[in-house]
Amino acid sequence: MEILETFGFTWAKFLSQVIIVLVVYFILSKFAFGPVLAMLEARRTRIIEGEENLKKIQEDLEKAEERVQSMLDEANQDAERLINDARDSAEAVRVERTKEATREAEQIVERAREASRVEHEAAMSELKRDFGRLVIDATSKVTGKVLDDDDQKRINEETAGQVAL
Amino acid sequence: MDINVPGIYFNHMTSILAAGGISAPELSDKIWITNSIFVAAIVTIALLFFVRMATKKMQLIPNRKQNFVELVIEFLYGQVEGIVGKHVAPKAFPLLATIFIFIITANWFGLLPGVGTLGWGEGPSHGVIEEMHTPLLRPATADLNMTLALAVVFMFVWLWISVRELGLWGTIVHIFGPKGGLAGKLKLALMPIFLFVGVIEVVSIIFRPVSLSLRLFGNIYAGETLLVTMSGLGENVFNLGGFWAFLTSVLFPIPFYFMEILVGALQATVFTLLCAVYIKLSTSHEEH
Repeated sequence: MEILETFGFTWAKFLSQVIIVLVVYFILSKFAFGPVLAMLEARRTRIIEGEENLKKIQEDLEKAEERVQSMLDEANQDAERLINDARDSAEAVRVERTKEATREAEQIVERAREASRVEHEAAMSELKRDFGRLVIDATSKVTGKVLDDDDQKRINEETAGQVAL
Repeated sequence: MDINVPGIYFNHMTSILAAGGISAPELSDKIWITNSIFVAAIVTIALLFFVRMATKKMQLIPNRKQNFVELVIEFLYGQVEGIVGKHVAPKAFPLLATIFIFIITANWFGLLPGVGTLGWGEGPSHGVIEEMHTPLLRPATADLNMTLALAVVFMFVWLWISVRELGLWGTIVHIFGPKGGLAGKLKLALMPIFLFVGVIEVVSIIFRPVSLSLRLFGNIYAGETLLVTMSGLGENVFNLGGFWAFLTSVLFPIPFYFMEILVGALQATVFTLLCAVYIKLSTSHEEH
C-alpha cells in the first residue's frame, strides 16, 4: 500500500475513478454495445434471410426453367405431330387431286374422242351422200335417163355399200 | 515576483515532474476533484455524446458515425471472441471493450494541446508560468488511481465471470486442483505440489491489478515526462533562450508525439489483451 501511495494512490481519488469507470461501463453498454450488437445481429439475420430467399428464388427459377423446358418439349412434339398430320393430309389431298385430275383428263379425252368420232361419222355420211349424188348425176348424164326415186335410192345404197371409207 | 496564476505552462524544465507530479493534484484547495478526474469526466462525457449521436437513430443502412461505431465494436467483439471463446464473449465483451475504448481515448486525449500545459503555477506575470504545480488537464491514465480503478473493476468482473462459468467449487478446483488429467496414486502424490502451485496462482491473481495498473500508469506517465523533457531540451541542455528556446520546445517533442500515439494504442491493447487472457485462463474447461 505504501508503494501505491508513493505513486499518488488515495482511497477517495481511487473510489472516484472507480465510479467513473463504472459510469463509462454503463454508458457504453447501454448506448453503444447493446444497440450496435443488436443491429449487427439484425443485419446478420437479414443477410441470412436474404441468402435463403435467394436460394429459394434460384430453386424456383430452376423449377420454372425445367417447367418451361418441359412445355417447350411438349410443344415441339405437338408441333411435329401437327406437321406430320398436315404433311399426311397434304399428301392425301395431292393424291386425291391427282386422281381427280387424271379422271377429268380421261373424261375430257373420252369426250373429245367421242366428238371426233361423231364428227368423223357425220363427215363420212355427208361424204357418202355427196358421193352418191355425184354417182347419180354422173349416171343420169351418162345414160341420159332420168332416174326415178327408186333408182336413185338403189344407186345410193349400192354406192354407199361399195364406198368403204 | 512569484504569483500563483492560471496560465500557459511554457518554461517546463524548472521541474522535471510532468503533469504536476507523480500524484494527480486537486484542482483547488476547496475542490477535491483532481485534474485526472476532471479529464476522465470529460472523456466520459465525450464518449457518451459521441455514442449517443452515433446510435440514437440506428438504421440497417448506417450513416458514417454509426458505421464507425459498428466497425469498432464488431472488430473488438471479433478479437474478444477469438480469445475468450464464443460462449464467454457475450459476458466478457462489454467490460473488455469499455476498458479498451476508455484507455485509448484517455491516452490520446492526453496528447491534445493544453493537456499538461494549462493550469496554475508560479510565474513573473499573469498568463506565463515558469513552474507549473497544478495543470488543469492531466491524462486520466497518467494517474494510478484511474489505472487501479480500471484493474480492480476488471478483477471483480473477472471473478464474477469465472465463478459463473465454473461455479465456486469449480473455480477453486481450477486453481488448486490437479492438472493434466492425473488420476490414482500419482494424483494423490502430486496434490501437495498442485496446492502449492495454487497458492502461487492466488498470489499472482492478487498482483494482477497491481501489475496491470502500474504498467499502464508507468507507460503513460513516462510518456508525459518524455514530452516535457523534450520540450525543455533546447533550454536546459543546449542553453538556448528566447525565441530559440520556444522553437525547440515546439519542434523537439513532435516525433515523440507520434510515438506516444502508438504507445497509447499499444498500452490500451496490452491492458485489454491481458484482461481477455486472464478470463480465458480462468474459464477454460479443457482441463476438466
